[in-house]
Amino acid sequence: MEHIILFAGPMGAGKTTAIRTLSDIPVVATEASNSDRAAADKATTTVALDYGEIGVSDEEKVRLYGIPGQRRFDFMWRILRDRAEGMLLLIHNDAPDPLGSMREFLIEFGDLCDRGGVAVGVTRTDVRPGLIVTDYTDFLEQERPDLMAPVMAVDPRDRGNMELLLMSLIANIEMRALYREVPA
Amino acid sequence: MKLKHVAPHKDPDVVRLGTAALREMTELSSSLRHATVLTDDGFEVVGVPAHAADGRLASMASSIQALTEGVANELAIGPSSYVIIASETGHVIQLRIPGQQLVLAALFDGDETLGKALSTARIAAEKFAAALTSR
Repeated sequence: MEHIILFAGPMGAGKTTAIRTLSDIPVVATEASNSDRAAADKATTTVALDYGEIGVSDEEKVRLYGIPGQRRFDFMWRILRDRAEGMLLLIHNDAPDPLGSMREFLIEFGDLCDRGGVAVGVTRTDVRPGLIVTDYTDFLEQERPDLMAPVMAVDPRDRGNMELLLMSLIANIEMRALYREVPA
Repeated sequence: MKLKHVAPHKDPDVVRLGTAALREMTELSSSLRHATVLTDDGFEVVGVPAHAADGRLASMASSIQALTEGVANELAIGPSSYVIIASETGHVIQLRIPGQQLVLAALFDGDETLGKALSTARIAAEKFAAALTSR
């Protein structure tokens, strides 16, 4: 059995790092030099996709696709969105407007949230104190009260953190699929 | 003293030289519909006609360039020389500006032969690279 999971979120949230942390195979990355250091102070940025794989059991493999965080690459969002079963949304807590970014991706990938599932990872909570995880949980409940999505603080460099979030998402996808199969 | 790095799409010199290179390209080929020079991360440095595609070709060309170079790297076949998308009513040609973190992408209509389109794009890229190096 295979799952296809999309890693989404704004530039600098840690999507490429998270995929590198999780993947059992060398990651295919499409990073280019970042010309816009004002938008995010990092050396490189993803311009097409990241790809990795992780085996979760002998029979179960998860394909991990990372999308570019910048909207000018939204054609890649559409290409990859249609293949995915769920979205792992990473939001960095020190972004100028983290809740606004969260809303943007929940709307853009609303169809994926409806038919699959979503889990939210809040990154860089140690860099700048600001919102706390319950602020994100409350915001998600307010924006999408129909979604029962896990929300947790994560460090994209920490395999344990990322595995927990990924497994929570897969459990969420499978649980929602079961609910859909059970007649009302 | 630390020199401030100017992004190519904000560098007046690069924009001026890029404009000249694309203008020359339009003179060489009447079937050129649109051409753009872009940064590796998809910002349009200059385009002809100006802003014709609202930077869309630049963004897409950036993704394609990265994927192409990724495939060439995975297959260990050396650096990618150029990318061709040959379609029913037009061809897209793109190639790296030699020695630069810049890419030239051009859309020609179907009246142009692929060979002529490729030659036009290659000459423009090489001249632009030479101009950037000698400034």
